[in-house]
Amino acid sequence: MTDRLKNALSVGKISGLYVLLAMIVLFSIWVPETFPKWDTARQILNNNAIGAMAGLALIVPLAAGVFDISVPYVMTLSGVMCAYTVVNTDLPLWLAVVIAMSAAIGVGVINGIVVVVLKIDSLIGTLATGFLVQALVKWRTGSKVVTSGELAGGFSRIARRQLIDFTLPVFYTLIVATVIWLLLEHTATGRRIYATGFNRDATRLAGVRTERIRFGALVLSSTIAGFAGIALASQLGSGLSTAGDSYLLGAFAAVFLGATQLKNGRFNAWGTMIGVVLLGTGTTGLGLANQPQWVQDTFRGVVLIASLALTGLQVRKAGASSMRSWLRRGSPPEPTNPDHGPAAASAPSTT
Amino acid sequence: MHALIGHNGSGKSTLIKVLAGYHHADPGASVFLDGQPTTFDSLGHRGHGSGTRLNFVHQDLGLVLELDTIDNLALHGGFARTRLGRVRWREQQRRARELMAPFAVGFDIHQPLSKVTPVERTIVAVAGALQGWSSDHGVLVLDEPTAVLPPHEVGRLFEIIRGLRERGAGILYVSHRLDEVFELADRVTVLRGGQRVIARPVEGLTKQELVVHMLGDEARAHYRADLAPASKASAVLEVRGLTGRFLRGASFAVYPGEVLGVAGLPIDGRDELPRLITDARRAAVAGSVRMPDVSTDWVDVDSWRGDGLVILPPDRAREGILSPMSVGENLSLSSLDRFGPTGRLDKAAEREFVNEWIDRMTVITSGPDAPITTLSGGNQQKVLFGRVLAVEPRVLVMCEPTAGVDIGARQAIYELVAEQVRQGLSVIVSSSDVGDLEALCTRVIVLHGGVVVGELEGDLLNEHELLHAMEGAEPEVAA
Repeated sequence: MTDRLKNALSVGKISGLYVLLAMIVLFSIWVPETFPKWDTARQILNNNAIGAMAGLALIVPLAAGVFDISVPYVMTLSGVMCAYTVVNTDLPLWLAVVIAMSAAIGVGVINGIVVVVLKIDSLIGTLATGFLVQALVKWRTGSKVVTSGELAGGFSRIARRQLIDFTLPVFYTLIVATVIWLLLEHTATGRRIYATGFNRDATRLAGVRTERIRFGALVLSSTIAGFAGIALASQLGSGLSTAGDSYLLGAFAAVFLGATQLKNGRFNAWGTMIGVVLLGTGTTGLGLANQPQWVQDTFRGVVLIASLALTGLQVRKAGASSMRSWLRRGSPPEPTNPDHGPAAASAPSTT
Repeated sequence: MHALIGHNGSGKSTLIKVLAGYHHADPGASVFLDGQPTTFDSLGHRGHGSGTRLNFVHQDLGLVLELDTIDNLALHGGFARTRLGRVRWREQQRRARELMAPFAVGFDIHQPLSKVTPVERTIVAVAGALQGWSSDHGVLVLDEPTAVLPPHEVGRLFEIIRGLRERGAGILYVSHRLDEVFELADRVTVLRGGQRVIARPVEGLTKQELVVHMLGDEARAHYRADLAPASKASAVLEVRGLTGRFLRGASFAVYPGEVLGVAGLPIDGRDELPRLITDARRAAVAGSVRMPDVSTDWVDVDSWRGDGLVILPPDRAREGILSPMSVGENLSLSSLDRFGPTGRLDKAAEREFVNEWIDRMTVITSGPDAPITTLSGGNQQKVLFGRVLAVEPRVLVMCEPTAGVDIGARQAIYELVAEQVRQGLSVIVSSSDVGDLEALCTRVIVLHGGVVVGELEGDLLNEHELLHAMEGAEPEVAA
């Protein structure tokens, strides 16, 4: 048991938490008047909950070896759609939510068709659908902000309502993270998702329906993105045709950072949560210390490179990594030939 | 010409990797080159000292198949450049021709390597390793160069290797195949458990003695599974007019409790056949299949789900193991439905299953949580056998079941399969290693030109007849 505990607390597994502690100490010394306050903790969690959901949306596709670049645009779509329905129709709020969610899931299905059926590389395919979704939003709204007094009612409570000091999106995030954790860690499907991401051919030949898994992963990410988008629109109090844009890089940063935590290279929910809090604490602290915006971006970039480099070192010691194999999908496990560069097989697959 | 042989796990690969500088040698080790002490670090590196050095051709060859011969040679040896850094392609071409000239190969050096035959790729890799060395100095290390070559191409490679020796090259030849040692080598070193067992001239050594040295005790070089010929009353699987890239309407049937071998060359469709009957849905194929006791209707092979069939893929590293996962996760992948079809995955039950199969397959591992990559090739293969056998298939389709597996583990694998066959499993074996077919099969179909041209059974099922039939000659008894 003590071994297990030691293992669970090892720097290799939760380096992020140690870095987080160090940052809290650092900022508490740097800006003692404002940083070490309960309000700061509240602010970090409340402000990062929607970004966290965007990150959670990416986990399952990435674990299955699929990129979903369209996530932020799906967020925009569902938010605008929900706000538009509330403003321009007499439909009840729940129906507006259902309509917006259906649209988001629809995009997920289209992503699945593009990536799985048409066999277009997921990075390119979802980039393209992202453009199309954005086009749809701009066309329908004429790039105008969808807003009206009607949004101040029930719609605004979706994200603004507080429960014991935290806004509802914090709780949504916890629920989604729990669901993803259960899915990936404690179901057969989760194991198959990871296997698909590690080696699609081997997994297919082992009798797993990898196409279904990839398709399902894309639908799931759009579903989570859709919900995150509604929460975002509610928080903003309007349907904004650029609402999701700023979430793209942050979400990917949190997920990749998360994959270096807890599960030794596998994309996972709680690791992503650590990533979100870590990045959020850093940027919030820098903000309170009156550092300019560019310092915050520098921080994000440095943290990402440093954590991945550290994981890379660990991985070289351990001899195996999902992250590395994910980055060179379908390649042989060991470079047996250090002199001669990558073997032919390591060329990324384009389907 | 020095052969280095030994089991998987005997330390061959580790030795080669130490020599290549991929692993570091423990302190206290010493190495001599040309009688001079040197360091392990400098061994594999180019451009140091007199040009004396080791040149490696690794098993995976280290080539980029999308590129042509010229580019691949340049990647190994450097590009000819102008002072501004522009590549001088004409010069590059000339160099490539020069390098390839001694090998007298006829293929176009502008072709991407994916279009040339495996032996030609090996030759390009050898040429790449040899460029720029002075021929009477240095050692060429060949790591299992024949592992992926069809029989008729092996001879061609051997000629080239002999030619290199005549030019004065020292060659360290790593192999699993004992025959190659006798055919090529002057001296042989046997490794077992990380130690040198013997190092002596090949002359005067018998195959039996060599096997004994490798295994540490008496073992049969010619294993033959103890299997009775199957009854042909009712087939478990029938295939009609199977057509794909190489196959041109092959038809055959598999009977219960039978091990059916598929002999032939890749261009005859040997490698294609297992894929078409198990994983055909994405390929342009024709043909129909049925399993008579499931349904008497013929099903088009491109819409066939292959229920009841399971494939052991030929390329273990690329299509078999999931390298980032543990031994246990690799074993249970095909059987996950048992531990929670819809809901929670029962990890205790999974663990019990994994431990049971590790025992049954005699996998040597530190435990179910060990990364699969820590296992030797033979043990990885046993894990994959566990994965496919655990789903209790009607028909097991094995491709290259013992590729990169040493003799000891080979026999263990043959025995494991034979045991399942005695209990009623039907097996299809496709292998470039005639030894696999001889050891295991109760019947062998011979492919030539994409169709089944013959069938060998009983006493006719031996290495000589098989090779004879595969070379395209009419087998002496056609079915």
